[in-house]
Amino acid sequence: MKSKVSALMDGELDQQDVTHIIEAIRKDNDLQNEWRSYHLIGDTLRKSSRLSMNISSRVSQKLITEPTVLSSNVTTAIQKQKYKVFTLAAAASIVAMISAGLIMNNLYKPQQIMIAEQSNQENSLTAAPIMVSSPPLIHNYSHPPVEINDYLFVHREFSPGITMRGQASNIHNVEYHERYGR
Amino acid sequence: MISRSIISLLCFLAFGIQVVLAQELLPSSEDALEWLKRMAEAPRRHNYSGVFIYYADSHIETSRIVHKNDQAGEHERIEVLDGSPRIVLRTNDEMKCYLPESKKIYTEKRWFRKFFPDILPQPFGNLDENYYIKEVKRERIINHESQIISLIPRDSLRHGHQFWIDTKTGLLLKSAIMDGSQIIEQFAFAQLEIDGEIQSDLLKSNSFMTQDDWKVTNLLTSVIGEGEVEWKINNLPSGFRKLVGMKRNLTEKPVFVDHIALSDGLATISVFIESMGEDTPTPTSGFFTDRGAINIYVRVLEGNKITTIGEAPMETIKLIGDSVIKVN
Repeated sequence: MKSKVSALMDGELDQQDVTHIIEAIRKDNDLQNEWRSYHLIGDTLRKSSRLSMNISSRVSQKLITEPTVLSSNVTTAIQKQKYKVFTLAAAASIVAMISAGLIMNNLYKPQQIMIAEQSNQENSLTAAPIMVSSPPLIHNYSHPPVEINDYLFVHREFSPGITMRGQASNIHNVEYHERYGR
Repeated sequence: MISRSIISLLCFLAFGIQVVLAQELLPSSEDALEWLKRMAEAPRRHNYSGVFIYYADSHIETSRIVHKNDQAGEHERIEVLDGSPRIVLRTNDEMKCYLPESKKIYTEKRWFRKFFPDILPQPFGNLDENYYIKEVKRERIINHESQIISLIPRDSLRHGHQFWIDTKTGLLLKSAIMDGSQIIEQFAFAQLEIDGEIQSDLLKSNSFMTQDDWKVTNLLTSVIGEGEVEWKINNLPSGFRKLVGMKRNLTEKPVFVDHIALSDGLATISVFIESMGEDTPTPTSGFFTDRGAINIYVRVLEGNKITTIGEAPMETIKLIGDSVIKVN
């Protein structure tokens, strides 16, 4: 039978014998060992780096003897260190987010600043923040063009203090000085 | 475990901050509100005359005021004493502005503007919702004892105010618009006589101001009813309400201009919508500042120039200017 195993490895058996010997190897442990030995010998002769060694039984044995770890929280020194770094980073992120929020509130809400400045006198005062966009990021501030003078005149309804900057272009010079005091 | 505790503590802290921000606003002082009530009533209860100054951005303007109450209501004359003369006569809400050098008279109804020292609306209703009002201290102003009342804005949409109120009569002696602790502009009496005798002549126009060669221009054309509204402010900022919508006849403009006036009780904001013709030069869009507390925002929308002007922070002016929409 062993010769047939050897012939199987050498590819010298016909189809019927192949089926036959494979069935025999499956059932006979000795023939299985023979089969492995022949393969190991062959690999060695061919100087193969991947020897045909059966390590499955030893690995299985090792797994059986290995104590079962129920917790996934591996507490090696390195992992502890990594966990610390992660938590500190998370804490720093939260602090940064809160700080950024408070800074943004103060930067873009002039009256929020005012409340803060007066908080020494009125500590219990609370403010309702309202999100508004910040024009300084978008555009320029400058003196109003002369064409706005009419609007200012109407808006202030002849109120004292309506003097304005700029030069008149669309109204008579004398009237401009009267209306706007310059 | 320590790290977990830190995270929990920070989360709790963040939650706490949210709770504090969302909690009920502190109500204003009842005594301070009572002072404001007296201040609002004083111009209807007392006659007065004097000189007051307007001060902003290192600029001073002096005006003389005469104010009298009688059976017909309020009568007032304000004359600007610096630079070219300008005289405003008012009987209740009807106003005339005289410009002697150019011999022009502009007539206008007082819609929302309150002149110093009569700057509070009546009733002043929701001021407490927009400002935290409190008493500060007593101070002597032009030989009168005054109570200082501070109006701290409850949000970033408006400026703060400070009033110096005469303890005897309730008349406003000095007022300031504040940006934080900084004064942006102020009015203050330099000389004042309360409840002295006021000759009727002092409240009339001078004879030379009524001659035929003076040109009269009525700045008002018509008030726009709610059903005729072409433009509206889509999202009014908290505390602001619409006072009136009008078609305006501006001094030198060939077309009528839509004017929407808003107020939060103290700050006033005007939105002007002007249709631009094909030959109209492109307006200068952007943000502008004027003397004192005035901020301006100009933008173009579908061939219309939208100009928003008011005594409010630029953020508020932009918020309103950007909310203007055309009603279909």
